[in-house]
Amino acid sequence: MSGRVSVLDDAAELRPRAVSGRAPDVFSREDCVPMAQFRDEEEVDFAIVGTGCGGGVLAAKLAEAGGSVVAFDAGPFFRPLADFASDEREQEKLYWLEERISDGENPIELGSNNSGRCVGGSTVHFQMVALRFRPEWFQARTKLGYGADWPVDWREMWRYYEEVEKACSISGPIRYPWGPKRGRYPYRAHEVNAAGLVLARGAEALGIDWAPTPLCTLSAPHGKSPPCVYRGMCKIGCSTNAKQSVLVTYIPRALAAGAEIRDLATVGRIETDRWGRATGVAYFREGRWRFQKARHVIVAGYSIETPRLLLNSHSARHPDGLANSSGLVGRHLMVHSNHAVWAEFDEEIRWYKGPPSMACCEHWNYADDDPTKDFDGGYAFMSQGPLPSDFATSIVTNSGEFGMDLRARMAKYNRMAGLKMVGETMPQADNRVTLSEGKDDLGLPRPRVTFGYCDNDKRLYAHALDFMGRMIEAAEGKNRFETEGTAHLMGGCRMGEDPKTSVVNADGRSWDVPNLWVCDGSLMPTGGGVNPSMTILANAARIADRMIAAGRRGEV
Amino acid sequence: MSARQAAHRERGSRSIGLDAVAAGGVIALVAAFAIGSALRPERKSDPVHRRATRKARDGAAILGASVLMDSAMEHFRGGFHNRAMVLAPATAAASIAASLAEPRPDRTGRLPRLGHALSFAVGAAGLGFHFYNVTKRPGGLSWNNLFYAAPLGAPGALAISGLLGLTSEALSIAPVDGNRTGNEALAWSLPEAGRGLALATGGSLLVTAAEAGLLHFRGAFHNPAMWLPVTVPPATGLFLIGEAANPTDSGREVTRWAARGVAVLGVVGTAFHVWGVHRNMGGWHNWRQTSLAGPPTPAPISFTGLAMAGLAALDALGSEERSS
Repeated sequence: MSGRVSVLDDAAELRPRAVSGRAPDVFSREDCVPMAQFRDEEEVDFAIVGTGCGGGVLAAKLAEAGGSVVAFDAGPFFRPLADFASDEREQEKLYWLEERISDGENPIELGSNNSGRCVGGSTVHFQMVALRFRPEWFQARTKLGYGADWPVDWREMWRYYEEVEKACSISGPIRYPWGPKRGRYPYRAHEVNAAGLVLARGAEALGIDWAPTPLCTLSAPHGKSPPCVYRGMCKIGCSTNAKQSVLVTYIPRALAAGAEIRDLATVGRIETDRWGRATGVAYFREGRWRFQKARHVIVAGYSIETPRLLLNSHSARHPDGLANSSGLVGRHLMVHSNHAVWAEFDEEIRWYKGPPSMACCEHWNYADDDPTKDFDGGYAFMSQGPLPSDFATSIVTNSGEFGMDLRARMAKYNRMAGLKMVGETMPQADNRVTLSEGKDDLGLPRPRVTFGYCDNDKRLYAHALDFMGRMIEAAEGKNRFETEGTAHLMGGCRMGEDPKTSVVNADGRSWDVPNLWVCDGSLMPTGGGVNPSMTILANAARIADRMIAAGRRGEV
Repeated sequence: MSARQAAHRERGSRSIGLDAVAAGGVIALVAAFAIGSALRPERKSDPVHRRATRKARDGAAILGASVLMDSAMEHFRGGFHNRAMVLAPATAAASIAASLAEPRPDRTGRLPRLGHALSFAVGAAGLGFHFYNVTKRPGGLSWNNLFYAAPLGAPGALAISGLLGLTSEALSIAPVDGNRTGNEALAWSLPEAGRGLALATGGSLLVTAAEAGLLHFRGAFHNPAMWLPVTVPPATGLFLIGEAANPTDSGREVTRWAARGVAVLGVVGTAFHVWGVHRNMGGWHNWRQTSLAGPPTPAPISFTGLAMAGLAALDALGSEERSS
């Protein structure tokens, strides 16, 4: 495109852009849209901390229902068309890379695979895999004998999956081989790339089902978004707006409905009055601390920042942190085991083309009766398309190959394919987020993230590695090797039906502080064997409706 | 996408650009029309008869032009990785020339007839090739392959173009008012030829609408206008088949209006597809990519071609009362 080249600058990261009654128009290179603005001392209906899958959806739906909404995000407000480069290093600006302490038996690597820091949250860099939970997982304890039950009926959740899939114009297959019949996806599945066809070939050789992955990127135009052009830079931020992230779906809706978004605004504390009710949030923006009054505070900062904020908002009345009478804030943190097998192929694959995971297999999320299944929970796996430095990093980390060995390995980049799992881990109380002694630049205690796999988790990923290895060999892959890792975060503020065993109720409302809510992935009592974004979005859409209904009853 | 492109890249074959393909397509079109027109001298005969024949052949030529441009673009997108892929645009050009040439019962007239027969044969063979391309992929005859592998319906359009050409030949040699032209043994009467053409056109409209339906379904009918080509043409197709089975004056009038609607739809559809290309990343500034990735601009006009053949069939069917 001639005449459209501009120099990338870091203006979005230096100064807030949503100011003076205007916010960035995400569909333009430099334009703005009008935005409502509220004064700090004006008591707004809802102060929302975070603008991702939880906060973004709530901001839109609550504002559309007539509520006054201010949503805070610690990160910048990007315009993808102008601010995103096709460069892995540059795009690290999308990740939450602030120093955190990660320990435990299997410390988690934090950043690109599990947390975002910009308006739109992690959806700006997620890989767009849009899967639903298996119905039984919402009653994992009762029906499958592990983990915990959700305080929500699966049919209700499935209705909300449908709502958010429509809002994000998910492109999915016409026939999905697993689980109960679902309605048609709003858009048709994309053409499966060569990397996906490797999975398909392997699955057909082993006689199990596979499917084109339902993806959160357009296969036909929608509104101001063009269809996907298969550039393959999805994981570092889509620069065409084909990816239907929260940044280009719910955030514009929120702005149009009169919500205010405050970018580069870090919320440090939720303040409470002497009766223990939340009064608003203290936040740092443009070089100073401020205070926004609010009738309700909704925390949507994901599984590390949400517990961190609640724990840091302790007071005389809440000495162990807000909403923490159960002692469960920060506990039952989960990840997905993200182990993978890779192999070389005779033919060119060019796996970077298109979205990274275009074919998927959920066989082991549903195969309860298989005699080789020696674990609780499930796993899905998908075809892969890692960008070069991501893949090289993964090789160095896992095998230690370096120098000429690494060069030789990377020379085969275009003839490689891989299968990577999304493996359920068990909710364990000791996998948790706490506050460390160290302080960040704003004087806030840094979070400490403690994680270790249990025996079941280890059996699960061992099974997956074995199975995926067999499949990639059946697809005629050679010189197979394995890598390990984790992806996603879930839990940390689980919802439930009992104040003793959960932090919030089914509406996301805290048991301890009636005008304090949580709405993000930290609510999830179990992680399931699928990527969590759709579940977090659907749960947020559900909670929004519950809040609106409670408001109509005069309870909000 | 990548499997195909990778295969083509590995062969290290051609390096012509899309602009060359577009230019080549335009040159082929112009040449085809020039040759066809040169073979098309004025001829004294029955006005209805002539009007119908010419209209049918013009329809077939428009259809051929649509196939020429569409197959040139799509096969370019596929990197012409199978050499047989050049046959589609080449045969379509031959089909245009044959359609524009004036049918003659003598030896010179054999060349156009051969052109039509060739189009029909290559189109039918293309169907086989495309079917093989779909089924050889993982998933076999799946929606994903029907959407993205070689389109099953496309070579059909070439076959239809040949079929219409052949039928219009029959129309041209049909005896009018006892004015036999030499091939009496084979000739249909004008209404009979009209009937045959109505049947062929009606069936072709159904098949073409099915192709549009498949691809518009792939596009999730994201624009409500995308429903038009899957409703109006098949209805018209059914009317035409009805007329072939049981011609009536009133039915013919309704069908004529429907066919005119389809003819307009072909032009409107082209405009929509031009707009649709613009909605892809970079719009027409980025035409080298978007004209291939977006909706196929040469496709909708095929409806206009079919509609004209349909109108010709109706003219022929209606000639009975006037000529008797």
